[in-house]
Amino acid sequence: MNRFFRLGGSLAAIALALTPCIAAGEPLAPLPALEPPKREQVELGRLLFFDPRLSGDAAISCATCHDPKKGWGDGKALSTGYPGSEYFRNSQTILNAAYYKRNYWDGRMDGRDLPTLVRDHLTEAHFMQVDGRLFAERLRQVPEYEELFRKAGGEPSFGRTLTAVAAFVRTITSRNAPLDRHLKGESGALSASAQEGMRLFQGKAGCIQCHDGALLSDQKFHALGVPDNPKVFEDPLRHITFRRFMKTLGVPNYDNYRQDPGLYGVTKEKGDWGKFRTPSLREVSLTAPYMHNGVFATIEDVVEFYNRGGGAHPGKSPLLRPLGLTDGEKRALVDFLKSLSGDPVVVEPPPLPEYKLRALGKN
Amino acid sequence: MQHAHGAIPILLLAGLLLAGGLAADSVTGQTQKFPALAPLPPVPVPRDNPMSEAKVELGKMLFFDPRLSGDASTSCASCHKPETGWGDGGDVSRGYPGTQHWRNSQTVLNAAYYAKLFWAGEVTSLESQADAAASGNVAGNGDGMMMEERLRQVPDYVRRFKAVFGTERPLIRDAWMAIAAFERTLVSKPENVPFDRFMKGDAKALTEEAKRGLGLFLGKAGCVQCHSGPLLSDESYHNLGVPKNPVFEEDPLRQITLRYQHVIRGVPEKVYRSADRDLGLYYTTKQEQDKGKFRTPSLRELTYTAPYMHNGVFFTLEEVIEFYDKAGGDEPNKSPLLKPLKLTAEEKKDLLAFLLSLSSDKPLIVPQPALPDYAVLK
Repeated sequence: MNRFFRLGGSLAAIALALTPCIAAGEPLAPLPALEPPKREQVELGRLLFFDPRLSGDAAISCATCHDPKKGWGDGKALSTGYPGSEYFRNSQTILNAAYYKRNYWDGRMDGRDLPTLVRDHLTEAHFMQVDGRLFAERLRQVPEYEELFRKAGGEPSFGRTLTAVAAFVRTITSRNAPLDRHLKGESGALSASAQEGMRLFQGKAGCIQCHDGALLSDQKFHALGVPDNPKVFEDPLRHITFRRFMKTLGVPNYDNYRQDPGLYGVTKEKGDWGKFRTPSLREVSLTAPYMHNGVFATIEDVVEFYNRGGGAHPGKSPLLRPLGLTDGEKRALVDFLKSLSGDPVVVEPPPLPEYKLRALGKN
Repeated sequence: MQHAHGAIPILLLAGLLLAGGLAADSVTGQTQKFPALAPLPPVPVPRDNPMSEAKVELGKMLFFDPRLSGDASTSCASCHKPETGWGDGGDVSRGYPGTQHWRNSQTVLNAAYYAKLFWAGEVTSLESQADAAASGNVAGNGDGMMMEERLRQVPDYVRRFKAVFGTERPLIRDAWMAIAAFERTLVSKPENVPFDRFMKGDAKALTEEAKRGLGLFLGKAGCVQCHSGPLLSDESYHNLGVPKNPVFEEDPLRQITLRYQHVIRGVPEKVYRSADRDLGLYYTTKQEQDKGKFRTPSLRELTYTAPYMHNGVFFTLEEVIEFYDKAGGDEPNKSPLLKPLKLTAEEKKDLLAFLLSLSSDKPLIVPQPALPDYAVLK
């Protein structure tokens, strides 16, 4: 970082403090196209995404918690996780997941490596708890999979499975949202109210401070003081999963936690307690409930929360302050947020090919 | 060393029987060539896991608790049910949900006496066996840390672990210790076993048939070559040419698990590609001559532990006797100890009567204990 840039940054910060009309961050824009994955990989990945044989007890698939009919999340405040357990965070949509630099609410995974993100979901005890060598043998027991894998590069294997599912996930992106059409100059793409909401979004409401750019996420971590979801610690199964997960991260004294530490769990830096990665707002009308713990059921609840200046948290982001929005302004903001959903990404669960007998000794 | 050890109990036994006015040889016909058949000694207890009533009680609860598996569906007792001789009663065991196992579930009864456990002797203690079974992907598929946190969410367990192990919070390794302690109570008591009563001087404890069977066991049938000592096992590994169990040609889930086994045990690619059966001791040693070798199981309590063999291919003892009478199966690696026995129909019946005398008069049943619940932790 050169000196000039730093100076520019401080000037911008001063300007930000002085002006009530906020215009920080990257401009809103349509999502850039991703390099398309190979068709054979996508075709295979689509089946695997829906196949419960990719979990330890063959009971759940990726689609169990990322259901196309539920905005590619699971529609619950807190996700379920592996049978016999309950999870302690909200299942995020996988729509546009391929655009993140960091993945998961606490950003513990590098977004540039989707196959590893898939691997984490498959093998971790709180998600699908499967041994990759076991599901590779399961897939080898299905002639249709053998054929699809062959077209995608070779025999069914752990690694090829991850690549294929990741390829499929890269195709789950939003296109052609009213906002995008508006930005391309299509008049009437946004209602007057939504256009008013867009101005508020970039101005008085300050949303764009964090929800900026094509993804409507700064991809950074902030503490908002989101109210705790009491179910995390009142449900023994969630508390168990929470503790076990914190132990895997190596945080101290996790037995005593009664709050989700968010990014702190990853970095172990005090200042990161309660910070979570800004999620994209694209497709937000499909992905209720909201926040890392699903504590808000509706978009209106979320707008009210920000209007109050967020919650109570010692490390709360200084970007949050009471907004003083009128009822009409809140409605306009909600209308704008609802304009962020693009053409529906519909994928019907495919029929899954069955196990067939093999000749013994021809492995 | 092994032989010297075997000789001592025989001499002791002879002395005991002589004191009772009987000549050892005339009663049992045992020679000093093999470790003597005898009642089981007191159960061996490892120094780092002493027995206590509270530990055994805790171990019993854990043995029956399905939370010691991945999806909280499968307890030790799922495959080691008291009412089916502490095995699962099937030829090849059931597996974790979504899988089927690839070997017969062995009885837990008297497992405490083995120096090595599992059909190919993969582990060396009940403690490590419990861990391996609860964590194995086709058995319990449990994650150690997850199971440990589950135990910590149960106040009754927290109290019991503290009382037994002195820890503030349960440790998963102590769960395996407690389960092992419980299993050390699942042993044949000599006073309940006709053969043991006979060996202790009750000449009427065995029928005439069974006595003739004992003679065959030690002599013409040659069983004692491998089934010797108080446990009736030499704890060594032999290839008998046990026939393949057709379930491996009929059930895709069994085929998956069989191949998975080749993979996780790290056999060379070439062996994986052509393997069509359980490779037994080979998985451990990767020595060609160990393919198809399995550890001699005890014959105690076999009245209650059908089906038989590592793949459960024989449902009755009569089938097992027929198998040995024909000198076992046909495999290149087959043990040279197996030869055609030419037993008469009468002799087979006698041998069967003796084998049945190795079981307790009644099956050892332990009722399932009540399991404590999870609670909210303040």
